[in-house]
Amino acid sequence: MHYVLHYGQIAPYLPYLIGGMAISLALSVLSFIGGMVLGLFFAVIRNEGHPILSRLVRIYVAFFTNTPQLVQIYVIYFGLPDFGILFSPFAAVLIGMTLNAAAYLTEILRAGLGTVHAQELDAAETLGMNRLQTLRHVTLPHLFRVAMPALTNQYILMTLGTSMASIFGVEELTGRAFNINSTTFRSIEIFTTVAVLYVVVTFIATILLALVGRWAFRARVPVL
Amino acid sequence: MAHLDIRGLVARYNNATVLDGIDLSIERGEIVSLIGPSGSGKSTLLRVISGLLPPREGTVSLAGETINYADRRSLRRSRDKLAIVFQQYNLFGNMNVLRNVMVAPVTIQKRDKKTVEAEARALLDKVGLGDKLTSYPDELSGGQQQRVAIARALCLKPDILLLDEVTSALDPERVGEVLDTVKMLAADNMTLLIVSHEMGFVREVSHRVAFMADGKIQEMGPPAQIFGAPQQPRTQAFVSRILGH
Repeated sequence: MHYVLHYGQIAPYLPYLIGGMAISLALSVLSFIGGMVLGLFFAVIRNEGHPILSRLVRIYVAFFTNTPQLVQIYVIYFGLPDFGILFSPFAAVLIGMTLNAAAYLTEILRAGLGTVHAQELDAAETLGMNRLQTLRHVTLPHLFRVAMPALTNQYILMTLGTSMASIFGVEELTGRAFNINSTTFRSIEIFTTVAVLYVVVTFIATILLALVGRWAFRARVPVL
Repeated sequence: MAHLDIRGLVARYNNATVLDGIDLSIERGEIVSLIGPSGSGKSTLLRVISGLLPPREGTVSLAGETINYADRRSLRRSRDKLAIVFQQYNLFGNMNVLRNVMVAPVTIQKRDKKTVEAEARALLDKVGLGDKLTSYPDELSGGQQQRVAIARALCLKPDILLLDEVTSALDPERVGEVLDTVKMLAADNMTLLIVSHEMGFVREVSHRVAFMADGKIQEMGPPAQIFGAPQQPRTQAFVSRILGH
């Protein structure tokens, strides 16, 4: 075999690939934020131990963590139109990723909530804080402090998971790589370049999240 | 009118009775200490007064106003007048020293931030921690954390301060610095209800001492009586055991 690598042929496509990366990032950031909001809400419900709501959350988490994300998005994209609910490929993937992330984040955040010291909650109570004030000033800062490493991992997994959006025709990084491959057939060059782009993006995200964790929550996360 | 008036207080953990009809009346500026063996209900009494454990029976009145523990507004009003310092300090680990002291007056009492900050700085100076404003609790010794906890309670401008074994978790060499701070409060004429195992300290600062056992106040009187001539056999046994060591 005498395959000669020609990365020069890929160079003109770099801006196109970086544009795809921006779409991947949009998917991961938006679904992570959505998942955090839902996950936090569900985690608080689980933590409060409301008999019915807590059970519903458990069923939700069990369903979304025990079925493939791809199948979940298939249901949203191909299944819901039968009921008259149509989403664009981007929206379907975003909704699917958000619902899936919410399930995993519920478990991460619930575990973090369990580590809030009872003494701090006692202090908050006797100082006169109501539930919302306690959540804002005591529980959430502690939660993000202890859960930051797990949240960072989850975010990285989600960033990498955006590649499945290409299956639904979303032209994110992997989708654009397929497009270039179908015209240049330089598979090794294209997909190794894409792999490097994923590494760069996740590496930067890891550092940024570690810095945010350290700065905002005194999280003990190594930056590198 | 008594500053803090407790009548027939009963409290239970699950079905176990931990306070069994407590009657206690404290005048303004008076310092009362609770002593007794572990499990006698001393700390529980402070937890009930501060609203962490609702009483099953009886009443607690602050300056004539009975606290309704089922009503958050009544509880909230009582917390403006009454503060507690815990054995384990209970500082907020995510906040630095200054913020720990300022958070309640600013966010709960809605007082002016600049005024509160000036007061917090003055209080931290007073307890000898003026140079630790930006430190976090995990960067401080136990004694320093306890003094921050006292400053935090004082910044609420309470009329009554409850001190729950504030030296129990400290190394012996740190005990003195916290006791000095409490003596300073006593000199300021603050109403104090103290749970302590530091008998020398209790004897020195208290106006009255209550001996508790089995969830009841078994005997109460001036320190000279409780430590010098206790009337009840259980008090005698406890005091002789403590002073014998």
